Amino acid sequence: MNTALEITNLRYRYHDGTEALRGVTFRVAPGECVGLLGPNGSGKSTVLLHLNGLLPDKPGLDGTVRIFGQSVTPESIETIRHQVGLLFQDPDDQLFCPTVEEDVAFGPQQLGLEDAVVETRVRRALAQVGLADYGSRATHHLSHGEKRRACLAGVLACEPLVLALDEPTSDLDPRGRREFKALLRRIDATKIIATHDLELVAELCSRAIVLDHGLVVADGPVLTLLNDEQLMLAHDLERPHILRHHHPHSDDSA
Amino acid sequence: MIDDWVGHHHSRPHSPLSHVPAALKLGVAIAIIVITVLVPGTRVSWFVGASIFLALVVLISRLPLLFLLKRLALLSPFVLGVALLNALQPVAGASWWNVAVRSAICLLTVILVSNTTPFSSILRVLKFAHVPSLLVTTLALMHRYLFVLTDEAERMRRARASRTFTRQHGARWRTLATVVSQLFIRGSERAERIYDAMCARGWK
Amino acid sequence: MHIPDGFIDGKTAVTAAALAAAGVGLALRQVRKKLPPRRVPLLGLAAAFLFAAQMVNFPVAGGTSGHLVGGVLIAALLGPGAAIVVLTTVLIVQCFLFADGGVLALGANIFNMAILGAAGGYALYRLVCHWLPGPRGQVTAIVFASWCSTVVASISCAGQLAWSGTVAWPAAFAAMASVHMLIGIGEGLISALVFIAIQRVRPDLASEMNAASQPRPLKEFVRYGLLAVLGLAVFVAPFACGWPDGLDAAAAKLGFDRKALQPVVSAPAPDYRVPGFHWPAGSTAVAGAAGALVVFGLALALGRTLVPEKEANTARGSSSHD
Repeated sequence: MNTALEITNLRYRYHDGTEALRGVTFRVAPGECVGLLGPNGSGKSTVLLHLNGLLPDKPGLDGTVRIFGQSVTPESIETIRHQVGLLFQDPDDQLFCPTVEEDVAFGPQQLGLEDAVVETRVRRALAQVGLADYGSRATHHLSHGEKRRACLAGVLACEPLVLALDEPTSDLDPRGRREFKALLRRIDATKIIATHDLELVAELCSRAIVLDHGLVVADGPVLTLLNDEQLMLAHDLERPHILRHHHPHSDDSA
Repeated sequence: MIDDWVGHHHSRPHSPLSHVPAALKLGVAIAIIVITVLVPGTRVSWFVGASIFLALVVLISRLPLLFLLKRLALLSPFVLGVALLNALQPVAGASWWNVAVRSAICLLTVILVSNTTPFSSILRVLKFAHVPSLLVTTLALMHRYLFVLTDEAERMRRARASRTFTRQHGARWRTLATVVSQLFIRGSERAERIYDAMCARGWK
Repeated sequence: MHIPDGFIDGKTAVTAAALAAAGVGLALRQVRKKLPPRRVPLLGLAAAFLFAAQMVNFPVAGGTSGHLVGGVLIAALLGPGAAIVVLTTVLIVQCFLFADGGVLALGANIFNMAILGAAGGYALYRLVCHWLPGPRGQVTAIVFASWCSTVVASISCAGQLAWSGTVAWPAAFAAMASVHMLIGIGEGLISALVFIAIQRVRPDLASEMNAASQPRPLKEFVRYGLLAVLGLAVFVAPFACGWPDGLDAAAAKLGFDRKALQPVVSAPAPDYRVPGFHWPAGSTAVAGAAGALVVFGLALALGRTLVPEKEANTARGSSSHD
């Protein structure tokens, strides 16, 4: 199988001694959309940070992460960061520039692109997330949903091949959630979504991975996993509402 | 007081002044301030001229008059202080009203610029003027997270107030110190996440 | 202590701005060299923190309240160079965004609060820490250094006002110093409480940041110290030493062109010696020293009461770097 990302036996311990990951292994094919599930503290965010090489290389780290065959090391980090776009949990952490435009331009500028190219990318990314007229707006005056979309624009402007999203729909109102879901569906990149929003996973992802206590406890087609009541309960998750009205064998094109 | 200052930034009226280039506005403002400070007190014509010019700008800017007056009133303790000290011990050359007029003109100039120019444009002018990039970056980040942190401080204040039942001075100082220290700790943790976010988009 | 525009004249503003620019330049160079890239965003966040922390009002007797200024606190947490950058940033934003403190007076405000207040205060903090090792010594050092830096900054501010001819020196000095000797106590106490609270939750924060500026503090101190002394010599010494024609003498000593300065400078001179308000240098120094001694005693006592016996002993080994 052609792989977009491949994690082998990844272990990680934080400086305070917590073992966040205790040997995680999985691979994701190009174009796939994978949901990363699990209770709080199960290691979802840690996995995503590793995809971008953001956790320091030190004794607590073991195992390999490969993006399109290239392993994540301090030497390869720059190429890796071009290929993997990371959407952080708190949009305020990610939108650090004074205006939306400048923030979206930040990534492309770091790539060393020409001003004209940067501008086209910014315009395209903003249009893609539906914020075409928001370029000159101050980032701290945006609503929560707008902040989220501006963050996504900032990531898309780098044109990543893999998109890693950390809790993309938390704190969004139902409408914001719906819009954001539609937005994600339109993006072609390989997606890996860490979330508690099981409906999002049910609608967008073809496959789900359940993490608990730093280990992969289940990996398979989304509907099979989400309908496995026992698995869900054992790992502090629950069957999403929308599935209760469906039967697993009925037509689930969602 | 912070509400007075910050509040208006969210509802800045749109005016013809918003379209004047920031560099020009800053240049004119600094020129006015420099001349006002340097000009001898006997040159009444300059003070009158500057006041009329500023009054016109106020009209164009569509800023609420009450807000401007409130902001100018914050100057009064300084002026009163100088007046009081000078009453005790007069100094030749600088009378308190002279100082008052000068400072009021300068203050009004800054208020007008800061309320018709987004801070990001000021930053761009600074960058253009070759201010060291580390300082500009720090300024940009401070401005960006000013409101995030003041909101956080306000939320903590409310949460604390809702569970405060007595008024003991000593204990209050301790809790307040805890709030301020939490603010610093959260701020520094956020700084680390921001660094991650910058790296994730290729910052070197 | 934010001087608005119009309160200091051209020569004072330019002199202060030159000193401030030199100090900030030094600080920026030091930070760029020594600060790990991971910590760059922290400068901006620390500036935002100081601003937000100033919103938290501490109740003082009689219904009034005070708030943190934080120069020494930030310097103790991040080191002197970073503290100068952080305070300068705060002052610039306060000036341009909130019109708090003048544009032309920005240099004077940066000199008083960032260079004298933070870097000067930090030098004193390290000195006291050196004499009194351990967490109790740290608390004593924070209280005392915060008080001194507040008072010295206010005296420098008084000097600038007097040199500008806005207010006569004796009155300016008496008013500024006496008020800030009280404010300084509050500042010292708040800084100490906040510092202790941070140390309890994240002891790694302060030590890690300071490690970056550890090995050769002396050289940096000499540079910042030189700037601070130069500034005080220009703004304060001519008055405080009671020279008959203080400014002209100072100008001559510093090698300024006397002629060029004459018209602006001579104005305040004839008037500042009003009978009854003229403080001889000796008594000023004695009063200042007595005040400082009292505060140092208070700082020692605070160190004892705020840090429990157990912590004082257990933490002694780990904080030996101070």
